Amino acid sequence: MSSPRSSIQFVLNNQVITVDFNADTELKPTTTVLNYLRAMPFHKGVKEGCAEGDCGACTVVIAENNEGKLFYKAIDSCLVFLPMIHGKQLITIENLADSGKLHPVQQEMVNHNGSQCGYCTPGVVMSLFGLYKTHHNPGREIIEDTLTGNLCRCTGYQPIITAAEHACSCVDKDKFKLHEAEISGLLAHINTDKSPIEIHTPTRQYFKPLTLQDALNYRHRYPKAIIVSGATDTALRQTKKNEVLAEIIDISNIAELKYFNEQAQDYKIGSGISLEELKKHAAGILPALHQLLKIFGSLQIRNLATIGGNIGSASPIGDTLPLLMAYKAKVRLQSADSGRLLWLDDFIKGYRLTDIHADELITAIHIPKPGQGFITLSYKVSKRKDLDISTVSGGFSLLLENGNVKEIILAFGGMADHPRRAADTEHFLTGKPWTRPNVEHAMKILFHEFLPLSDARAGAEYRSLVARNLLLKFYTETITPGQ
Amino acid sequence: MADLKHDSAIKHVTGESVYVNDIAAGQQLTGRVVYSPVAHARISLLKLDAAKKVKGVVAILTHHDIPGQNQMGPVVEDEPCLAEDEVTFVGQAVLLIAAETSQAAYEAEKLIRIEFEELETILTLQDAIAKDNLITPPRIIENGNAEQVFKSAPHVIAGYLETGAQEHWYLETQTALAIPGEGKEMLIHASSQNPAETQAIVAEVLGIAKNEVEVEVRRMGGGFGGKETQGNHVAAWAALLANASRRPVSITLSRDDDQKMTGKRHRFLSKYRMAFTDEGRILAYSVELNSDAGAATDLSRAILERAMLHAENSYYIPNVKIVGKAYKTNLPSNTAFRGFGGPQGMAVIETAIDRMARFLQKDPAMLRKINFYGAQPENITPYGETVSNNRLHLMYDTLMDSSEYEKRRQSILLFNREHEFVKRGISLTPVKFGISFTTAFLNQAGALVNIYNDGTIAVNHGGTEMGQGLHTKILGIAANQFGVSPENIKIHSTNTSKVPNTSATAASTGSDLNGMAVKNAIDILKSRLAEVAVDELKLKLNTQSITADHIIFSADSVFAATNPEILIPFPELVKKAYLRQVSLSATGFYKTPGVFYDRETGRGNPFYYYAYGMSVSEVEVDVLTGESKLLRSDILHDVGDSLNPEIDTGQIEGGFIQGVGWVTTEEIKWDNKGHLLTHSPDTYKIPTVNDIPAVFNVKLLSGQPNEGTVSKSKAVGEPPLMLAFSVWLAIKDAVSAVGNHKYEPSFSLPATAEVVLLSIEEIKRKGLGVGD
Repeated sequence: MSSPRSSIQFVLNNQVITVDFNADTELKPTTTVLNYLRAMPFHKGVKEGCAEGDCGACTVVIAENNEGKLFYKAIDSCLVFLPMIHGKQLITIENLADSGKLHPVQQEMVNHNGSQCGYCTPGVVMSLFGLYKTHHNPGREIIEDTLTGNLCRCTGYQPIITAAEHACSCVDKDKFKLHEAEISGLLAHINTDKSPIEIHTPTRQYFKPLTLQDALNYRHRYPKAIIVSGATDTALRQTKKNEVLAEIIDISNIAELKYFNEQAQDYKIGSGISLEELKKHAAGILPALHQLLKIFGSLQIRNLATIGGNIGSASPIGDTLPLLMAYKAKVRLQSADSGRLLWLDDFIKGYRLTDIHADELITAIHIPKPGQGFITLSYKVSKRKDLDISTVSGGFSLLLENGNVKEIILAFGGMADHPRRAADTEHFLTGKPWTRPNVEHAMKILFHEFLPLSDARAGAEYRSLVARNLLLKFYTETITPGQ
Repeated sequence: MADLKHDSAIKHVTGESVYVNDIAAGQQLTGRVVYSPVAHARISLLKLDAAKKVKGVVAILTHHDIPGQNQMGPVVEDEPCLAEDEVTFVGQAVLLIAAETSQAAYEAEKLIRIEFEELETILTLQDAIAKDNLITPPRIIENGNAEQVFKSAPHVIAGYLETGAQEHWYLETQTALAIPGEGKEMLIHASSQNPAETQAIVAEVLGIAKNEVEVEVRRMGGGFGGKETQGNHVAAWAALLANASRRPVSITLSRDDDQKMTGKRHRFLSKYRMAFTDEGRILAYSVELNSDAGAATDLSRAILERAMLHAENSYYIPNVKIVGKAYKTNLPSNTAFRGFGGPQGMAVIETAIDRMARFLQKDPAMLRKINFYGAQPENITPYGETVSNNRLHLMYDTLMDSSEYEKRRQSILLFNREHEFVKRGISLTPVKFGISFTTAFLNQAGALVNIYNDGTIAVNHGGTEMGQGLHTKILGIAANQFGVSPENIKIHSTNTSKVPNTSATAASTGSDLNGMAVKNAIDILKSRLAEVAVDELKLKLNTQSITADHIIFSADSVFAATNPEILIPFPELVKKAYLRQVSLSATGFYKTPGVFYDRETGRGNPFYYYAYGMSVSEVEVDVLTGESKLLRSDILHDVGDSLNPEIDTGQIEGGFIQGVGWVTTEEIKWDNKGHLLTHSPDTYKIPTVNDIPAVFNVKLLSGQPNEGTVSKSKAVGEPPLMLAFSVWLAIKDAVSAVGNHKYEPSFSLPATAEVVLLSIEEIKRKGLGVGD
């Protein structure tokens, strides 16, 4: 391991900023980008609305350099620890206008009355800026997807949609385009140094390896450290519960974990790939996954959250987990000196509990290529369709042979302390004709397989009903009409 | 002239607009509120020693440290600023901490020891009703003899309706910055819809006179009623800490604390009976509106009153009995929320009519129409006010046509016949909303208009800006009245030192009242300037025949109607006036004429006029999950001659979508200990961009001026929220389709996926002959 350093570097708007945590006592490694900005002069535009990534008032845009091109992503700054933006450009609301001339997304928000109270507006504008930099003439679906993570309580959103349509109809020749090469050069320079970053303060230790090998070494040396990549789950422990996160290993900048490879038998997916990247890769080849990720969190969350994090947190709902079970996915675990591959079903052990060893990292997910006739669908039922954790989710797979069930996987989230399969129901259906009477009978079995809880999201009775009905829904969507 | 854009629009989009939490005062401390974790208890022990020793902690205050009165109830003095020996809800403030950093305040809080002896709680309306735990005496409005009619009418239906609470979810949580000045002075930067009341409460808790307290409100990051009284609380707490530490103190509630500590829209449990003919004419209606006031009175009386005054919505009913009861429970005191009881009152009659239609197997839209207020004698409300300038029939005909209601109802019938697992529904609902504070004396407003001797104008008025565009409308009014460009006019922050004794910006009256007060001040200034202009023009035109009546203010100039070619630029006239020692500052005042209401008899003219709206919505319901999707909404709304059509449209769309949230996904749950379960956006779901209708047609009713208001306009803030009943009842219509409209679906508000699916399952059981 090359010798570690205690400072990070990023570009704030167009200026290189170096933060040495060991020298600067005001900032902690877990200071969020939101709090960092708001503590500075002239950066009060970014707002805190919820401190949990559910409202988007704190949206900022980061730009990442990839071979001379910048890739822009809107993120929730309330969830991002300052070292996570190392090597990136951070773009804030104060820097959009070009010497007094509003950026097109700002101008169109004014033209179409996109703001009322104005508190969500900086976040909305930053999301629109992200859209402007990534899409020309986007359709309504893309605009809505961009804005899902920005709650506005005043406007009813219509004028913001209109503003987005107008702003993104013009050709991108803003000042960011003009300075792209310059900024990308700055970032490339920062990113050449692959030595790890180590921050030691009296109450916190923060390790930011930039290579997988360094990450595995830290994991070995600090087995109790929390692993973060997007931190969209972990950050809440600090922002909501005031926990002091004493030891963190941040693997968000490890390029070796960010890939999507098609292999002969399966798709091998790096654990560090963001859910938004994964969504793009899944389009066309893993349609159920693509569909599910479209309604997973918000764009700001998907830009941060990783597939490895979603699996590792082993939430009882775990939005992607039931579907990955239905896909018969495997999890690749790696320690400094060995590796292993586990069925996802075996990896998830209980309530937020997995089979991971103290020196291992999740490095990849393997999803087998769906075989001939193997149908996989995913279902998410929530109080609100978007940006909501599911009340009940289902990932189902089916293989029919002459109208009979050859293989069926029925994995549910939100029905038990961890996502799990309905083994009895699967067993009952296997070998039987895929008919409505059989499915209706199976629904009764399913009813006895789970004892769901009542909570803030819904009652147990509703969960039970939905789980059964999802099976019926699956049936109706897997039969050809007239059958 | 194109509509003025929001006067802060550019500041909003550049992040320059300043909210309270963005203001930094030197040597500022962070304030933290320590609140009760139990719903009802006696405080048996309170130990602060360890907490006081935490480095960075400057002050920890209990109720003993309040120099003035320990009271912040806005109407009834039943709301202590800090709990004394008893706490009455989870979230009630017990202690205040001021510290150098929020972390130090948090560390101190962890070291505070409070022990509680728990007492019996009342956490549901059902329980409160059973125990008759009224917070205020019952009220009644009665007309005709409903009881008599129920005995002989052809048809009578009866039922209950639960309407849920709603969290305001202003994006900016409750916040205040208190800055002590010399002597007893205290400056408060508040996020308050009612700066005058914030001033009063700060003065009260500090035990000082109102003239020592200055409250300034630049803007709020949303209010919706949630900062009508409860913005006062955080201001009072910050003031106490600032007073104790003699340093500026800011308090901003975290989202979770805000949701846990503050009141919401009152939930109601209402009981109704309705008698009607075979044709669907309503003969009699009786309703008991039971509201959950929470632990203190706050505005619950007025909210209940407005619910009662809107119990009949848009319908003429010859025999009516409306009973209103507000109950005390161990939950945060519920408060104002856009509509202010109106929605809760209307929801019941809309449900009853919907049921009647299903009972008679008739189209509910048609039944609504035949019961609308009409010509004399069918234009008298249950409380005796005459419904004049009734727009309901015109709006119904227009909207039925533009929304293609009939055609779509037919295609929905077909669709539902062909789909087992997806059903569609449609509904039309009207809104008639009374404009004025029902507490008559509140219908007053003041303004202060200054002209500076460079010709620029500063307008101050008592209304506050919370996003609704009030300042922009006022700017438009001032520019029109003065005949000067809006660029030369600045609308200043609302400040109690400039305009005193103002009413809350509430009841949708902001532009009606303040617009008139500003106009009054401008009229005074114009008459002074006109005198100067007369003298100047006499000289210029060399004539004596010009009088003040001839003077016209237009296009940044002043001229005589008789000689429009000779202009005096406005700044030049102002300079002349200054040199002639003419006062260039004037206050304005306005009170709404003819508004009164007798609470004892339930009779009066509580409203200056009514605002009308109507909407048609179509939804699709997933029969297997209960999830619904809003496909299309058509809205027609009456704002008289709009002061600013773009801003009014924004209010209508935003209000409607907020209403859609209330009737669909915004569900508030407490556990059986009185802890709020839905205390963050993780579990409390307001609409996102995806929840708005795919087809969303919003139109202003045109050519219907409102006589007697500023520029013949109408108020717009609240009424559109209630248009969302069309969405709620369209969902019910889709649910009803599961049983071919033969069974009355169980239904409540909000119609969450859970409510919908359980209702569908019940209908399915009934269809199979299982159950009743």
